[in-house]
Amino acid sequence: MSSNIYAATDLNLRKQKNEKILRILFLMMTLMLIAPVLIILITLIAKGGPILSSEFLFEFPRNGMTEGGIFPALLGTIWLVAVSLLVSVPLGVAAALYLSEYSSDNWFTRLINLCIINLAGVPSIVHALHGFGAFVIFAGMGTSILAASLTLAIMTMPVVIVATKESLQSVPHSFRVACWNMGATRWQTIRQVVLPNATSGILTGIILEVSRTVGETAPIMFTGAAFFLPFLPESIMDQTMALSLHLFVVATQVPGVPDALPYGVALVLIGLVLLLNAVSIAFRMYLRGTKKW
Amino acid sequence: MRKFKIAMALLAGSIGFSTAADARVMIQNKGSDTLVNVAQAWAEEYQKVEPKVAVAVTGGGSGTGIAALVNGTVDIANASRSIKAKELKLAKKRGIEPMEHIVGYDALAVYVHKNNPMKSISLAKLAEIYGEDGQISKWTQLGLEVPGCKSQKMVLVSRQNNSGTYAYFRKAVLGKKRDYKLGTRDMHGSKDVVDLVEHTPCAIGYSGLAYATPHVKMACINKAEGEKCTDPSVATASDRSYPIARPLFMYTNGEPTGATKKYLDWIMTDEAQCIILKKGYAPARAVTCN
Repeated sequence: MSSNIYAATDLNLRKQKNEKILRILFLMMTLMLIAPVLIILITLIAKGGPILSSEFLFEFPRNGMTEGGIFPALLGTIWLVAVSLLVSVPLGVAAALYLSEYSSDNWFTRLINLCIINLAGVPSIVHALHGFGAFVIFAGMGTSILAASLTLAIMTMPVVIVATKESLQSVPHSFRVACWNMGATRWQTIRQVVLPNATSGILTGIILEVSRTVGETAPIMFTGAAFFLPFLPESIMDQTMALSLHLFVVATQVPGVPDALPYGVALVLIGLVLLLNAVSIAFRMYLRGTKKW
Repeated sequence: MRKFKIAMALLAGSIGFSTAADARVMIQNKGSDTLVNVAQAWAEEYQKVEPKVAVAVTGGGSGTGIAALVNGTVDIANASRSIKAKELKLAKKRGIEPMEHIVGYDALAVYVHKNNPMKSISLAKLAEIYGEDGQISKWTQLGLEVPGCKSQKMVLVSRQNNSGTYAYFRKAVLGKKRDYKLGTRDMHGSKDVVDLVEHTPCAIGYSGLAYATPHVKMACINKAEGEKCTDPSVATASDRSYPIARPLFMYTNGEPTGATKKYLDWIMTDEAQCIILKKGYAPARAVTCN
């Protein structure tokens, strides 16, 4: 009996079968994960899509917020994101530079790192109350875009710090050594070599931050966002409406809102996040293309 | 770091800008979720009356509003209850003199089907109908025969438990400690309660006075057994003879002045009082609206 020694044995076949089953199982789990995303998006587009129009985007709410548009809320969210980025990005990047490029691994650095991790774990409602006490009352900013943005900035700073630190550390150490050997100072090295090579990673942190800032409701509810304002914010000392709070309000607080309105607000909210992210992703891809290693 | 410098310059610039161009007068208005929709409608309408004055409205609850007044962060606090002694003490300590303005009333009517022969009902009986372990569950126990209601078993229509109406009815009728009976139909809106009662002969429900329609009947309420009953109306809510009505307040720090005074004066005009009526509450005084 000449048996083919290359033929699959029972064990082989069983292994192959298991392999197949596992592959399908994991694929199903992955699909289950993206299913909610798809369901959310399809529901929003189906129910909120018809209400979208230039009037919806660029007009004031009317008739007890049951008609008209969402412009003050849309603009307010853009204000909040912009001001909080102006604060958190420079501070976060500076902190990450210190931790990654200057500090040595001692108890003090470890303490700082521990604080940053803990800051990331603080619930947003706690940030809200802290922001209310520290900025609105103590610093006398009142309920304003500034107070709300600072609260958001503190809340999202750990994301920027961690992402920046990781991208700084991904720049090969030999780059720095080469630079120092040319006689460059630490700052010159950072400025000319490390930072340019780390920009794409920093942008990833900013993307994450923007997404979180746009969606947060609790931190701005006490510090700067209003239920209703009859005007557009003109400076950072003004109060503002915001999309996330507006969504909460039209979905739960105002009687007689047409069904499509909350869906429309949610769709704009998600659209804004995607748009802001798309811009930075495009920028990041451009930068990756110029990477030299 | 150039980016950082630009950021700081922008930040400083916009702060400077805000102090320079402050032609607009702001009125900060915060508090009660019961009043927030009325306050919003007033703010929206007032923009047409006084384009230079902007009323910023925020919700959060009566307590939030009063706390903000005590902290000095708002001009007007909205409240669906009067200020507590503790809050008043704290305000006095901070040099704030809360002054109460009644801007309207929230009156709850007891609704039954239009064929229901019930004319009046006492608060004590209502408590037995709605309260936990209450003894009354059939119309016959009130000596009534409701046409169209075969079993004569009452269908209790109530509100969802986070509604202010739910909380107020409980406090005013059941007493603070007593809970609602199980098995009530909890509706998610004042209008829904009236709609359901209209189509259900066995039903009894409570809801804002302003949601009344010609297709339902409102019960006359006895404060105590044997006393003369009071019909729910804007007039009886306003003179506080109707027992299930609460005033809605706006609080200011001392006698209001300037833009705040003008705004509060406007709130008492027919135009503004008709808005509160349209929103489902009783106005502070009798008005005729079209």
